[in-house]
Amino acid sequence: MNTNKRENVAAYSFLAPALILLGTFLVIPALMAIYYAFTDYYLLTPDQRQFIGLQNFMEIFKDPIFIQSLKNIVLFVVFVIPIQVGAALGLALLINKPRKGNIFFKVAYFSPVVLSLVVISVLWLYLLNPSEGLINSLLANIGMEAQPFLSSPKQAMITIVFVSAWQGAGYQMLIFLAGLQNIPSTVYEAGKIDGVNKWQNFFHITLPLLKPTSVLIMITTLISAFKLIIQPMVMTQGGPMNSTMTPVYYIYQSGFSDRMIGYASAMTVIFGIIIGIITLLQSRLTKEDDM
Amino acid sequence: MHKKLKKSIEYFLLILLACIFIFPMLWMVVSSMKPEAEIYLDMGGIQSLLPSLDVSQWFLTYKELFSRFNVPQYVINSIIYAVTITVGSIMVNAMAGFAFAKFEFRGKKLLFGLLLVLLIVPVETIIITQFTVAHTLGILNTRLAVVLPMIGNMFFIYLFRNFFRAVPDEIIESVKLDGANNWIVFWKVILPMSKPAVATVGTLSFIASWNDYLWPLMVLTDTDKFPLQVAITNINTTQPVYTNQVMAILTISTIPLIIVYIFAQKYILQGLGGSGTGIK
Amino acid sequence: MKKVMFLTVLVLMAIIVTACGGGNESSNASDDEVSLWVHTSDETPEGEAMQSTIDRFNKEYEGTYSATIEFIPRSGAGGGYEDKINAALTTDTLPDVLTLDGPNTAAYADAGMIAPIGDYITNKDDLLPSIIQQGTYDDQLYAVGYSESGVGIFYNKQMLEEAGVDLSTLPTVEEPWDWDQFMELSKTLVNTYDTAAIDMGFDDKSEWLMYAFSPFLWSQGGNLVSEDGSTAEGHFNDENSVKTFSFIQEMVKEGYTTITPVEKGFHTGEYPMKFGGSWTIAEMEDYPDVEYGVMPYPASPDTNELVSPSGSWQYAMAASSEKQEAAGALIDFMTSTESLTEITLANSVLPAAHSVVEEVQDKVSPQMNVLIQQNQNSAHARPVLPNYPQVSRVFQQTVSDAAYYEENSDVQKLLDEKTGQMEKALK
Repeated sequence: MNTNKRENVAAYSFLAPALILLGTFLVIPALMAIYYAFTDYYLLTPDQRQFIGLQNFMEIFKDPIFIQSLKNIVLFVVFVIPIQVGAALGLALLINKPRKGNIFFKVAYFSPVVLSLVVISVLWLYLLNPSEGLINSLLANIGMEAQPFLSSPKQAMITIVFVSAWQGAGYQMLIFLAGLQNIPSTVYEAGKIDGVNKWQNFFHITLPLLKPTSVLIMITTLISAFKLIIQPMVMTQGGPMNSTMTPVYYIYQSGFSDRMIGYASAMTVIFGIIIGIITLLQSRLTKEDDM
Repeated sequence: MHKKLKKSIEYFLLILLACIFIFPMLWMVVSSMKPEAEIYLDMGGIQSLLPSLDVSQWFLTYKELFSRFNVPQYVINSIIYAVTITVGSIMVNAMAGFAFAKFEFRGKKLLFGLLLVLLIVPVETIIITQFTVAHTLGILNTRLAVVLPMIGNMFFIYLFRNFFRAVPDEIIESVKLDGANNWIVFWKVILPMSKPAVATVGTLSFIASWNDYLWPLMVLTDTDKFPLQVAITNINTTQPVYTNQVMAILTISTIPLIIVYIFAQKYILQGLGGSGTGIK
Repeated sequence: MKKVMFLTVLVLMAIIVTACGGGNESSNASDDEVSLWVHTSDETPEGEAMQSTIDRFNKEYEGTYSATIEFIPRSGAGGGYEDKINAALTTDTLPDVLTLDGPNTAAYADAGMIAPIGDYITNKDDLLPSIIQQGTYDDQLYAVGYSESGVGIFYNKQMLEEAGVDLSTLPTVEEPWDWDQFMELSKTLVNTYDTAAIDMGFDDKSEWLMYAFSPFLWSQGGNLVSEDGSTAEGHFNDENSVKTFSFIQEMVKEGYTTITPVEKGFHTGEYPMKFGGSWTIAEMEDYPDVEYGVMPYPASPDTNELVSPSGSWQYAMAASSEKQEAAGALIDFMTSTESLTEITLANSVLPAAHSVVEEVQDKVSPQMNVLIQQNQNSAHARPVLPNYPQVSRVFQQTVSDAAYYEENSDVQKLLDEKTGQMEKALK
């Protein structure tokens, strides 16, 4: 009992700074937002805010743009997760072993992460231009027809999937790398003695030991993929025909452009619940006692 | 012979991949080293990835940029914010991660679950209420207002927790038997053995704070406290927009991030399985 | 262990100390010191001109009033600065005088955020009609624009001549072309160069589409919403709207313009024409090889009435200000002919008042003068509606959707659907 109590105190003193900061700057604002979800808060008249019960929620389920944005984000997530996480793992494995010039490769693969989205979007808009862009002239070389990419309601989201995966993979690569470095070399040495080949090595040693890192990456990538906003904001402004409108973008637009804070907060709550459920399902699926 | 061939193929692949990832950065840097018109005239050809043929043009953009805007002041501010946030973030989140990884305490599962829920909150949408909190605390227009909200981060806590769990309990026990308290364990054992995690969080935290634009702008009113990102937006929206100057300021803002990354990746390689440090 | 506690206490202390000591964001200056927030930076020509105007104000009113200015640079779409205004509103820390974008007038006035300033402004008759139109809500003047903006059709002289166009036959502000004549020219250019004739900025899917394309609707005699701003039904989907959007659609369908223009395509000689404003003139200084002229907007063939885009940032007084006299004096000072001329020349923008037009027209290029002249004669402010953001967005999406001529070949159907959305925003 005594040790237990002492452990409690110790644990909470280590937790305290983080809890205070997160509580002040994240939990309280989030709780306030949840309260606003039940009001008709209009940004410019904060004093006239009134409690209106579930009215916002009723309207949201009838809002075609919100429904459309949910469909769009599901499409995005389904494609971007395997592509981005797969690419990140591939890159991490590639540059994990020491070789000459490795620093260069690491910086290169990581560079889109640190680059400004301004640079990235200007450049990709150029590359993807249907009539003048480089990508289409490459496609023409291999005998393919020119594609409309971002200007087509059918292709715009898929194009954003690839640009996002390309841009973000370096981030997860960094975490995978740290995870790979955490695997003691002794494990591999033991494997060597047993005479396992490279593939066995990967599937039977690396992957299982990488599981905590993978779970972490899957969950956080999933959540951040659901929160997609910047790429469509910069590259397509949600168009064409709302095909790249995402929930967070729509929430942002309703809250700050249209000033409907109450309505936007209600969407935040609904969307938060949806992500929460999916995250929970995913963690059940991976059956990681870690969660 | 066979081995050499394999190695060549491997390098070819690595370089090809590097090209795919690095060309925007290359374009950014070279575009800052030519007159505005050349950027668009070159577009599409190989010349778009080479600086101006006229060497005297290379740094002209930077000269113009520095005469229009007080760049050094912004850079210094950004460095102050980013370094403070990074150090604070490593400390605060590592401590919390340590508690989750190595302590059994009441409410642990619940608290961890709650913190996971925080990951879901779309920060972009609660900035007004965050501002209200900062106002209530009375920290508006202080540098503290920029720094404090950026320190606590659930993702980093989670990351630290995962890494700290890999540190064998036996080591901690043996250090404790020598009379060390929890703080010493954390400071002298856990942190040094988790350099990859520290380096990773440090890098990611530095990048995030370096690139943050909206929050500093909201809480600060004195122009002389603004970070570099505010200047970038400014340069990017002040008509006429000179693309070469935009690329120049972006180059300036990218360099520190690359340096931080090169510096950090050295430590990422010094993990548990790496050379020297840690357990064998 | 102790150190942990110590650190925790330290963090707590830091928060508490600053909580008590740091609350100095509300100005506790003297009674007659007016605070002003502007959306630009002190490092821009615009900001420098504002600073110099403030300095002159402080000199002239020394002993009576004084003013301080704070620069809050905005991001692309006004974000940043406007977020800050909104946040200040919730915490009741607005300045006495602030700048706001034209389309925000109605929302700010309707919410009781800004106060009417008509009584303080001495040169109302001198201001351009579009400036008055933009700043007026409920028959009261709430805000005064300090400059104007407009869009003209920039053309590459050499490319037009090579396509066999006689430049002396091009339209002028007195005798504008109608849409059919303009499409005729576009056709000639497309046939010669096998690329889009004009970059109309379809790639910018934000406010630009509203700003640049709504004048076509007004020229046709149509409108987005009813006079009193209560409904879009019977306006946004009437015959005039159908004609206007059919014209826009045809421009794309015939290949006269493109929805995916190459950046700076006009500057580099890719396209012979471009929708451009005063900022384009500044940009063109970097492309000295391109000789260009500016012609006015085309008008509807039914009315032949030239209508051109307009809009600007304005000064307004916060309703919460306790120094209304001083704030009113400041706004009046900042919109005097001298102050307006200063900022117009510094920032290379269009003048907001008749007297300023006279001051500057000899000092600017002929291309700029076409824009100034067009603006003075035909500028039309965007609708002054509290729900402007939603209305504007529906309009933007309608322009953008109309450009997908295969999916939306039935313009009437498209407009009916969009009218429904607009109706929802107005209620």
